[in-house]
This record gives sequence, structure tokens and C-alpha cells, in this order.
Amino acid sequence: MSGFPTLVGNLLQTAARVPQATAIQDGAATVTYEQLLQQAGTIARELRAQGLQDGERVVLIMQNSAEFAAAYYAVLMAGGVAVLLNAAAKLRDFEAWLANCEASFVLTDADNDEATLAARASVAAARHWRSTGNPRSPFGLTLSAEHAPPRAVDEHAPACILYTSGTTGQPKGVVLSQANLASNAAAIVQYLGLTGDDSIVTVLPFYYSYGSSVLHTHVQVGARLVLEKNLVYPHIVVASIARERATGFAGVPSTFALLLSRVKLADHDLAAMRYVTQAGGAMSPALTQKLREALPGAAVFVMYGQTEATARLTYLPPHMLDRKLGSVGRAIAGVDIEVRGENGAVLDTGGVGSIWVRGPNVMLGYWCNDVATAAVKHDGWLNTGDMGSLDADGYLYLSGRRSDMIKTGAHRVHPQDIEDVIAELPQVQEIAVAGVDDERLGQAIKAFIVPVPGASLSPMQVQAHCRQRLAAYKIPKFVEMVDSLPRTMTGKLRRAELKQRK
Amino acid sequence: MSIKQQVRHFILTNYLFTEDPSKLADAQSLMQSGAMDSTGILELIMFLEEKFAIKIADDEMVPDNLDAVDNVVAFVERKQAAR
Repeated sequence: MSGFPTLVGNLLQTAARVPQATAIQDGAATVTYEQLLQQAGTIARELRAQGLQDGERVVLIMQNSAEFAAAYYAVLMAGGVAVLLNAAAKLRDFEAWLANCEASFVLTDADNDEATLAARASVAAARHWRSTGNPRSPFGLTLSAEHAPPRAVDEHAPACILYTSGTTGQPKGVVLSQANLASNAAAIVQYLGLTGDDSIVTVLPFYYSYGSSVLHTHVQVGARLVLEKNLVYPHIVVASIARERATGFAGVPSTFALLLSRVKLADHDLAAMRYVTQAGGAMSPALTQKLREALPGAAVFVMYGQTEATARLTYLPPHMLDRKLGSVGRAIAGVDIEVRGENGAVLDTGGVGSIWVRGPNVMLGYWCNDVATAAVKHDGWLNTGDMGSLDADGYLYLSGRRSDMIKTGAHRVHPQDIEDVIAELPQVQEIAVAGVDDERLGQAIKAFIVPVPGASLSPMQVQAHCRQRLAAYKIPKFVEMVDSLPRTMTGKLRRAELKQRK
Repeated sequence: MSIKQQVRHFILTNYLFTEDPSKLADAQSLMQSGAMDSTGILELIMFLEEKFAIKIADDEMVPDNLDAVDNVVAFVERKQAAR
């Protein structure tokens, strides 16, 4: 390995520096950095022993756990490429992703039936490993203190794949290198001022770029991650923050909307909370203000990024929040931002156009999809697909997305993924799906259906069909039967018009 | 309709998208069985508050009160009795 930091290098250094520090706390189980390294080393050695070759893909379909974190680092130590899939997805998604990445090994949670089905259809039984939930014996392996030294890998080679869309057409798997991941983690550590004294209660899944960045930043500095499964019971999450005296919390706008509406934060002792971060879509300035008032002792970091840029592109320094309210901040260390017009020319201050970025965090490309890669990457620059403007001080303001991606809660959903499933119903003549404004989720999914003349189809039938085929967060909240869909002269769907038709 | 019938109807039609009562067992965990996700549980809380004129406190939002039809019904009955 060269002098460039890698994730594996970060874990080795942290485990040597603070071996007894808690890395991950998952319910009653606690894993120190020494143990995390030991687990990762054991898993890595076993992967190699069972035939994993450099650059081969190891798929992880898991909810957050110490085993997940150990397996993720293990794959990198073993020279493989870690493919992190949304554990809440359904069989048809898993099948498409496993085929696209040509999985060599599949590691799943023991109780995930759909993932298990997909794994069995994709790899030999010996290459489908199931979690045990026991950090002393990850995947049923016997821990060994002696682990083979990590494979020497090119830090610019593929290390991780995150899929940003489902089965429609060719899946888009964002390929990131260890250099991408480590440089982005280092930049985040720097602006958050993270140290080994920090600890975070995290509800964000590691299989999304935001949650993944929370993991890597904490491993880099030897800080503690306290895992909470989800936000179903927000009171339990806040109680955990208070009990653990967590110094940080990370969320998306819907997380904060939920916490502020359902929990009286003032009733809990959150004095240790030093900062909160917000990313994953624009949060209204009103909600940002409410959050600051509810947590007067915590610095609020508004941030922006995307999976194609590893995770983070900009952050708003908390002391600038009042002066730049509504901005997502300025570029993080090492990143350049340009706003370009229709003709590709860089726009002057204040001009609204496409946001292009350049930096060590920009992905290598989409996995085995040169067409999709070429559509967004030119000369080292990445077209984010977002629209916005820069002010005279270099602060970025977003003004919507050009693409049709729906952001609902913490999830990004491509409408066509849902349209394809609904189109399977014989009663459907035409279908369009759009995101409509939703107070809690940011956007809610709505399906507009033109039924076959004379056919009988109820919204509930449509939703029931989707439930069989799609992850729960992709099931349309609203289904409306319409006479026709709004189209342009050339027959192209006017999705923007659908969004107005709540 | 009884409390149980109303709760069952709400979950069946809004999350399982069916009126077939055999699809939902009264003791089954709503989260673990995948019947509902976090958004669903919040919607259930709003439904209960509105339908049964109760106010659910933060610290009552726990699995013991909400993670199965049986738990929900017992919880609503306790709340109504305490009113």
C-alpha cells in the first residue's frame, strides 16, 4: 500500500492506537477496536481460504450490526469488492443486483428470507454465509488472533459498490475506491472535529452512503458507534442518546421532523450532544430553526452530497447558519464545484444551472455500465443531476433536481422501478409514478393509472401487488385512476405536472 | 365495530392491502413480520389518537404497546379506562 490512506489502514491504526476503545455497541453486545479488527481479519482469512480472488465481489445484505461492520472491512482486507445492498429490498431487486455484480460470495442476515432465496440461486451453498448475531463468532467462524496481513491493493481500484437504482434497465452500481472512501471520511472528520472522545447513536443503515460515512469516520478516529435499529420508536432512540451520553447524531429531514414532533427533547438530558448532522435532501429552514431551538447546545451541520461522490460534497459551518440559511454550504476540503448552464459554460455568481463537482471523492463510475458513466462523468468532473447556484462567497444553494428520482424518507426511488411492477397488472393500460409533497417524508409516492377500458382495478389491488414485488418504502401511498396522463407533443410524460396534481 | 376489529381493518387495508382477515394474526409482531415499517407505526399512532380520542405520550411509544394487534387493543383499553 502507498502513503494514501485507506479504510483498512484506518482500522489497523485505530486498533493499534486504542485497542480497548469501544468501536460498536449493539444492544448488550460491545465490540472493541481490537475485537473488530480480529473479527474482520478472521472473516478475511476465511474468504481467501474459500477461494476469494482480488477484485471479486462479496455481497452484504445485512442490517446494521457489528458483524456487518466487520464483514465490510474484511472484504477490503481480503482484496475483494464489498457490494452493500439495501436489506429491505425484495427478491427481484436482489436477483438483478447479484447478477449485475457477478457475486462470488453473499453474506446475509440469518432471518432475511428474500435475501437467502436470492443468495441460494446465485452462489454455491458454501459461499452463502449467514450472520449469527454473535460478535464472538461472526458467521459461525472461530475467531483467531492471527489474521493474514491485508492484501496490498491499489487504493484507486474498486473497493465498494452501492446500487442507486433498482431493476429498471441496467442497474446502476456506484463504484468507489478505498481512496474515495478514505478521503471523504477524512474531510468529514476534519470539519466535524471528530475525535476518539466522540460517540454517535446511529439509525442510518451502513448500506447507504450517509450511514457508510458515519461508520468510516468513526473508525478513522476510534470513536464509538451505538447502533439503534430504526426510528420506529423515536422515544427509545432519544433515550439511548441520553443514556449513552452520545456527542453526535445524524439524520435526514424526515428523521428530524419525526423527532421534533413526537419527542419532547427538553425532557431528556442531551447535554453531551455536541453536534447533529443533516443530509439526504433539502430540509426547510423552518425545521432547521426548530432543531436549533430544541438542541441549543449542539452545532447543527447542514450538508449535501450524493452516493456518486462517496457521500459528502458540501457542509454549512454552524456559525454561518443564520447568515446563509437555506444554503447547503461550501465545498468540503479537496472538492471543486461549478454551476454550468445549458451550453456547458460555467455560470456567474447567482446563476442557476447544473451542479458539477470534482474531487478525490468522485466515483470511479457505474459498475459495468459505461453508457451511464459517460452520461455523468466528463474530464474528471461529475454532473450531480442537481440544479443550484453559488453565491459570491462560494456557498451553494440547491434548486431542485433535474432527474425524476423520488426522495421519500431516507430512500431514493426511481419511479420507473415502481411503474414496471404496476405495469405487470393486466388491468393497467398506462402508468406513471411521481413524488408528491409530504409533510413527514419529504415526498410520498403516488401512482397515476389509466386502466384498460372496462377493467376493474382498485387502488388496494395495486398496492397489494406492489407489496409482493417491492420493498415497503416503494409501495405507493396514493393510487389514483385517471382518464389520461399528461404528455408532451412527442408523447413524453410530463412528470412535473403530475407532482402538482396531488 | 369493536376496537380490535377497527385496528385490524386499519392494518389489513392500509399495510397488507387486503380484506382477508386470515392474513393478520392478532399476536404477530407487526415489525418483524414486515407487515409495517416505521412510517406505518407512526400512522397507526395517529389513527389510534384520532379514532379512540386518546393521547399517546412519547414514552408510551414502545413495542409492548404497539407491536401486535393484541398489544394495541390492550393498550387502547387501558388508556380509555384511565380517562
